[in-house]
Amino acid sequence: MAAPAGIASGSAAAVPRIGKVGVLGAGVMGAGIAAHCANAGVPVVLLDIVPGGAARAVQAMLRAEPAPFMHRGAARLVQAGDLETGLGLLADCDWIIEAIVERLDAKRALHARLAEVRKPGSILSSNTSTIPLEALMEGADAGLAADFLITHFFNPPRYMRLLELVAGPATCAGAVAAVTDFADRALGKTVIRCKDRPGFIANRIGGLWMQSAINHAFDLHLTIEEADAVMGAPLGVPKTGVFGLLDLVGLDLVPQVAASMKAALPASDPYVLGMRDHPLIARLIAEGRTGRKGGRGGFYTRVTDAGGNSLKHAIDLRTGEDRPSEKPSLESLELGARDLRRLVEHPDRGGRYARAVLLDTLGYAAALVPKIAEDVASVDAAMRLGYNWKWGPFELLDRLGAAWLAEALRAEGRPVPPLLERLGEGSFYRTQGGRVLALHANGAYREVPRPEGVLLLSEVKRQGAPLAGNGSASLWDIGDGVACLEFHTRMNALDPDVVDLMGKAAAMGGKGAFKALVIHNEGENFSVGANIGLALFAANIAAWGEIERMVEAGQKALRALRYAPFPVVGAPSGMALGGGCEVLLHCDAVQAHAETYMGLVEAGLGLIPGWGGCASMLRRWAEAPGAPKGPMPPVAKAFEMISTARVAKSAFEAREMLLLRPTDRITMNRDRLLAEAKARALSLAEGYQPPKPAPLRLPGATGRAALRLAVQQQAALGRATPHDAVVCDHLATALTGGRRDHTEETAEEEVLRLERQSFMALLKMPATLARIEHMLETGRPLRN
Amino acid sequence: MTDVVIAAYRRSPFHFAGKGELVKLRPDEMAAQVARALVAEAGVDPATIEDVVVGCAFPEGEQGLNLAKIVAFIAGLPESVAGVTVNRFCGSSMQSAHQAAGAIRMGAGEAFLCAGVESMSRVPMMGFNPMPHPGLAESYPQAYIAMGETAENVARRHQVTRKDQEAFAAESHRRAAAAQAEGKLAAEIVPVTVDGRQVAEDGCIRPDTTPEALAALKPAFRQDGTVTAGTSSPLTDGAAALLVCSADYAKRHGLTPLAKVRSIAVAGCAPEVMGMGPVDASRKALARAGITVRDLDVVELNEAFASQALACMRELGLEEETVNRDGGAIALGHPLGATGARILGKAAQILQREGGRYALATQCIGGGQGIATVLEAV
Repeated sequence: MAAPAGIASGSAAAVPRIGKVGVLGAGVMGAGIAAHCANAGVPVVLLDIVPGGAARAVQAMLRAEPAPFMHRGAARLVQAGDLETGLGLLADCDWIIEAIVERLDAKRALHARLAEVRKPGSILSSNTSTIPLEALMEGADAGLAADFLITHFFNPPRYMRLLELVAGPATCAGAVAAVTDFADRALGKTVIRCKDRPGFIANRIGGLWMQSAINHAFDLHLTIEEADAVMGAPLGVPKTGVFGLLDLVGLDLVPQVAASMKAALPASDPYVLGMRDHPLIARLIAEGRTGRKGGRGGFYTRVTDAGGNSLKHAIDLRTGEDRPSEKPSLESLELGARDLRRLVEHPDRGGRYARAVLLDTLGYAAALVPKIAEDVASVDAAMRLGYNWKWGPFELLDRLGAAWLAEALRAEGRPVPPLLERLGEGSFYRTQGGRVLALHANGAYREVPRPEGVLLLSEVKRQGAPLAGNGSASLWDIGDGVACLEFHTRMNALDPDVVDLMGKAAAMGGKGAFKALVIHNEGENFSVGANIGLALFAANIAAWGEIERMVEAGQKALRALRYAPFPVVGAPSGMALGGGCEVLLHCDAVQAHAETYMGLVEAGLGLIPGWGGCASMLRRWAEAPGAPKGPMPPVAKAFEMISTARVAKSAFEAREMLLLRPTDRITMNRDRLLAEAKARALSLAEGYQPPKPAPLRLPGATGRAALRLAVQQQAALGRATPHDAVVCDHLATALTGGRRDHTEETAEEEVLRLERQSFMALLKMPATLARIEHMLETGRPLRN
Repeated sequence: MTDVVIAAYRRSPFHFAGKGELVKLRPDEMAAQVARALVAEAGVDPATIEDVVVGCAFPEGEQGLNLAKIVAFIAGLPESVAGVTVNRFCGSSMQSAHQAAGAIRMGAGEAFLCAGVESMSRVPMMGFNPMPHPGLAESYPQAYIAMGETAENVARRHQVTRKDQEAFAAESHRRAAAAQAEGKLAAEIVPVTVDGRQVAEDGCIRPDTTPEALAALKPAFRQDGTVTAGTSSPLTDGAAALLVCSADYAKRHGLTPLAKVRSIAVAGCAPEVMGMGPVDASRKALARAGITVRDLDVVELNEAFASQALACMRELGLEEETVNRDGGAIALGHPLGATGARILGKAAQILQREGGRYALATQCIGGGQGIATVLEAV
């Protein structure tokens, strides 16, 4: 029931439900926001000032990489229209997001026009990145002011987890609560409340950091490779550093951002004081070298030499000439790789550069609390999620020492921010009884607040010791009788210790140590699959027996979990490839983060799935409702997916590929994944009956002959390489049941035996080993 | 001995499989709609029909369960009418007519509803469960050779260049588009109803196709090949039907025959060059009719691929103008089981429309064979 306008104002009681969204402006941000709302399953109206522009933007997004849509079906939820004629389409939208050109007059004029079409109580927000709310609301009527806020998305909206939210003094609490909840649960964003200051948090600090990193690189005569290397790993900034980042986002953005910040900030602000025109950057922009998007490069370029090889070139900041790119070699980089203090105290240009940039950036951040945010944790979260920094400025300061920074600023005769003065020798973060406390602007330490329904394994881990564990995996008690199996190897590759703990977990749960198990970790990737480096090593010393035992042990451990007397719920995020995918295929249920990328990719390495991936996919297709009947369709479907090593580009795509079942669920917000998986596990635990092993019906030799014909056609087209054909033949053997006949039943164990046999035969082939070696060295598949 | 005549010919519009207007139309329903219209227009008592003979290349799924009898039921034919499903792959519905002709000459019936249908949207080529004989696949793999591969083999062996193929394909589209514009196709099309909507026009013809546009396509079957999607017939949904009867029957029922069947033939060939199947089949049929290529006024030669169509025309010495005057399968589409009835009906129709004495309708058939029919003006 809708509350009459005005009554909800200032009250938290009425939280409107957001069931339909309108987006105004189909530029990169507007279109991307619309696509992401559609990803959440919500109908969206997308309007653009250019006639037909919105429809074209939707079409373009269907072809774009990285894809703004999580699956093609999401695009059907976007209704495109024209701004001039289509405002009426917004009449039933609960939340209207304005993302038009960054001009105050244009925005205000459009906001005023919306009064005629907007339904009472609907929420209007602007995606402005620099214009303060106060300016947008000047002279606005009370109705608009109550419904208005700023929601600042980051590019690309699907992938960047930060949403900065600014509410004005008149904004009604219900609107804030509704947008916060929708952004959190439906869009998967971490909502950071910001004060109404120019650039909010992330772009204010991130923009100054970029400016400082550019200026000092020119002043200290660093090469751009050196600057990027110093800014990268040691500071926890993505490896594009600063110049690589400029190439990525577009050099033309530099003067645009500077101009808007200059207009919004006082002239005495260090950001404004540090602004400089670099003739080299102006020249590159004038030449159309605005970065990767233009195809002509920017600071870095790709050139083809006489031999047809693609070479990376870098621009020299002093001469403006392009030269072949060089790997930086600085002592400060080597010594300071893991120790930030050693880096900033090193006398070479790398050390001086790190010191200069960090003094600017961290000093600026410290001076901005509480001007831009009430607590340091919000600032850190904004930088981590909005700029993909590994550590926010205050986390960096804790690594560096707040007192060190204060002293360094003093030594240069620069003002020391009061926050640093007050802190003295202290730190911004503290751990107390396993809980993390962060410094608040008022000087107190407070627990970093978590929205209800957020459970983080990292926080569970601080509370005590695991139930069981080894160097590669641990088993944690996450409460209510639910255990969590965590992988923690490099890239969460699966090794014998992980397999061992999976087996142990099955046994422990079988004895009643817990009533349900969740398999989850907070790594960037759930698991990239079996540790192929280990496999290659074992192959090189011909430890075939050892390898086969490892394959068999994995099959056994996964079967033990599948048929265990307790439910197992997989909760993946990021890549779940090869063996990592097979772990999930054996779970009773999967609660997947929307950004989960599943795939049986073994064929790319010249192998086939060896841990029950073949058997699992055969069963899924055999049981798929609506799929054609008979012995061949499940085989053909599994073969098509596995032989092409196809990876789902979202959890929704994984569902289309049957890597997820219709009963598996998708969580948009990664922070909610564990709690939702745990709840699912608990619901399954009630009266749980483990599945019973069921035989398959496989076609045998005739099926293999059919698949071979299909592969020959792919080979004729050059789509299948000679070794692909060999791998496909082994895959066909496993999937068709070898010598079995479709008149008889084939036990799952027989398929597992064939998986193992084919896996071992392929692993002994030089062409397979070459693929594995190439992948380990270059990270790319070898097409031999 | 009584003459066998083709008394009527109708077909559904042809549309691309998977994306055209007939995707949602079941093949049995599609064939029945065409059969019903044919019988109604002929105005004959359906009880006088001996048998419904339906050609289909992949008679399974919705095309299974003796499709012909199912079609007879849906079309509302009386229970006394029998039904048989015939499979000779692409030659299936020409075979329907041949069986009818043989039966009529045997005195085993007077009137036959000879139809053909394929929904390549709803039943995939190769079927849902391709299960080749593993021993044969090993010892004689060409038994299962892919059609595109045979087109490449023919192009190479008979030196049909990519340019020739593209000129031929563009001409096929040009002729089909012209025939469509002149209403020559509408004359044979039975509008069909899909989900309550009427579809009355062909959907595969691309009037704006040029050799230059075709030249930009990538090879479709072999990396270094010359055959592209543009010089191949597309996967198509469609149905066609003929009324094949004795000349006496036609006379008794006041029907005006389009043409009479003069001779028929089939002939096997090497599977890897199945596209050359029409050569021997046509020679046999011409010999049986006692005529030569020079006596032909009208030729319908199925365009499975431009390469094989051109190679067959050269081998047989056919004149380009007489072959596929209203365009061929590259432009119109090739619903496997329906094509035989279409080109036989088309040859008879053109013979009647344009005049002349003899017509030849012939097709290549996957697995290595050809089928041919010689028609004579009535």
